[in-house]
Amino acid sequence: MAKEKMSLFNRMQALDRRYIYLVVALAIILPLIIPFNSRTYVTEPTENVYKKIDSFTGRKDRAILMCFSHDASTMAELFPMEVAILRHCFERKIQVFTICFMPAAKPLMDYAIQTAKEEYNVQSGIDYCNFGYKPWGLFLPILLGMGDDIAEAVDIDDEGRKIANLEIMKEIRNYNEMNLVIDFAASAAVHSWITYARARFGANVAAGITAVMAADNYPYLQTGQLIGMLSGLKGAAEYEKLVDIFATHKEPDAEGILHPAPREFSKELLKESWIKLSDIKNRKHKTARIGMNAQTVAHVMIIVFIVLGNIGYFSSRKKKKA
Amino acid sequence: MKRQIPLLIVIILGFMFAIHTFVPHKVSIEFYDWYQTWIKAISPFMVLLGIMSLFMVHSTKIKRKVPNWQYSLIILISLVGTGVVGFIWGTQEGTPFMWLFKNVQMPMGATMFSLLAFYIASAAYKAFRARSLEATVLLVAAIVVMLGQVPIGIKISKWIPEASDWILNVPNLAAKRGIALGVGLGMTATSLKILLGIERTYLGGGD
Repeated sequence: MAKEKMSLFNRMQALDRRYIYLVVALAIILPLIIPFNSRTYVTEPTENVYKKIDSFTGRKDRAILMCFSHDASTMAELFPMEVAILRHCFERKIQVFTICFMPAAKPLMDYAIQTAKEEYNVQSGIDYCNFGYKPWGLFLPILLGMGDDIAEAVDIDDEGRKIANLEIMKEIRNYNEMNLVIDFAASAAVHSWITYARARFGANVAAGITAVMAADNYPYLQTGQLIGMLSGLKGAAEYEKLVDIFATHKEPDAEGILHPAPREFSKELLKESWIKLSDIKNRKHKTARIGMNAQTVAHVMIIVFIVLGNIGYFSSRKKKKA
Repeated sequence: MKRQIPLLIVIILGFMFAIHTFVPHKVSIEFYDWYQTWIKAISPFMVLLGIMSLFMVHSTKIKRKVPNWQYSLIILISLVGTGVVGFIWGTQEGTPFMWLFKNVQMPMGATMFSLLAFYIASAAYKAFRARSLEATVLLVAAIVVMLGQVPIGIKISKWIPEASDWILNVPNLAAKRGIALGVGLGMTATSLKILLGIERTYLGGGD
């Protein structure tokens, strides 16, 4: 009997990788096809980004800048957070600018804007402005130039219009007004914003970053150089949840018809509120939360693999010693 | 001359930018405005240089029929094809360019990145062993952080997300800050060496 057990452990040690790959594929695909409800708790760095953006509600003398610094490979993690932030801005009439310095990020930026504005009557040049793609060589001159005059540094937007002539720019001049920069990246791109925009001009900087890169940014969170951070798919799911609970909240009238009734952020409300995935009709508004199901199963599966691998390892070692 | 002129440009401009950062004088500000105009004119040529370089490298590979030259052909066809489609129909939503992006680049990019999940799972099973005390600490920390990152963590125990946050905010932060300080000092030293003309490897040729 003991001999049989040991051979099982040996077999476990020598398991063909293809079986592992098959389990991984199933663990990721099945939760995406059959979504289930899971409660994503909201972390403080995400909460801080939401509160900062929300504080600009309805103000013409405030705006945020979203810098897209990634390509399609990291879209699964970063795209949902970009859409969620854009929805938040469009819903709460917060002026938003977008820019990218990577050619591969340009279509992503356009796609995010298109996806977010589907349900809103927002106009380019009035409610938002896409600065478009700027060559990487201009990154630093634009970043620093925006500290003095955005219209001069960026010059023209994605549609070839003079920035200075746009309605959105009436009360926006530099980082004093465009007071929050959020960089979405799978790299340390946000550090340039911290080094120049934050240190030199006092701009608030936040990061939307892939989970593997998030650990690098904790020192900047602690010092306050980053006001907040959306970390990987979890950060995106947290932001989606915040937008649904507060920014896009609807109340029924006497006839039961739902009307927009945005709410201020409140920790108590956040604890009490619970939105089922099935209640959210637009799949694009819950992408990250559906993805979190797959991530949950994948993480549990990896932990099971670690435990099984170690059981096999210690059993083999024990046998060798014996 | 081929090496001395670039070296002089780097030394002179390097010191001028350093002075500009610390001395907010009118001359320094004017110099910076002048630089901004120049960089706007120069940067499109950098893109052109990149495209020319890509063409030269891959066309040589195709001409010489080096192993896997077919991939070079695909790169050039994709580069020209995407560029032509973008120039003719534009890059907005509903154009062939956007179709190519959504149906070719997006899934290919996602596929490449998702391979990571398979490698991590395989490595977790085959190589992540509690062979020593350090490896055991790493293993336990990894499990706690992984559970803390997903909703099931808080279901198991309220302690898991808190422990995960502590790991990220204390030991991780300390290590990252140490690394950042080291990198910062290294960068300062290297910058000084470049400014003083001691470090010249960026000129090529292995001087």
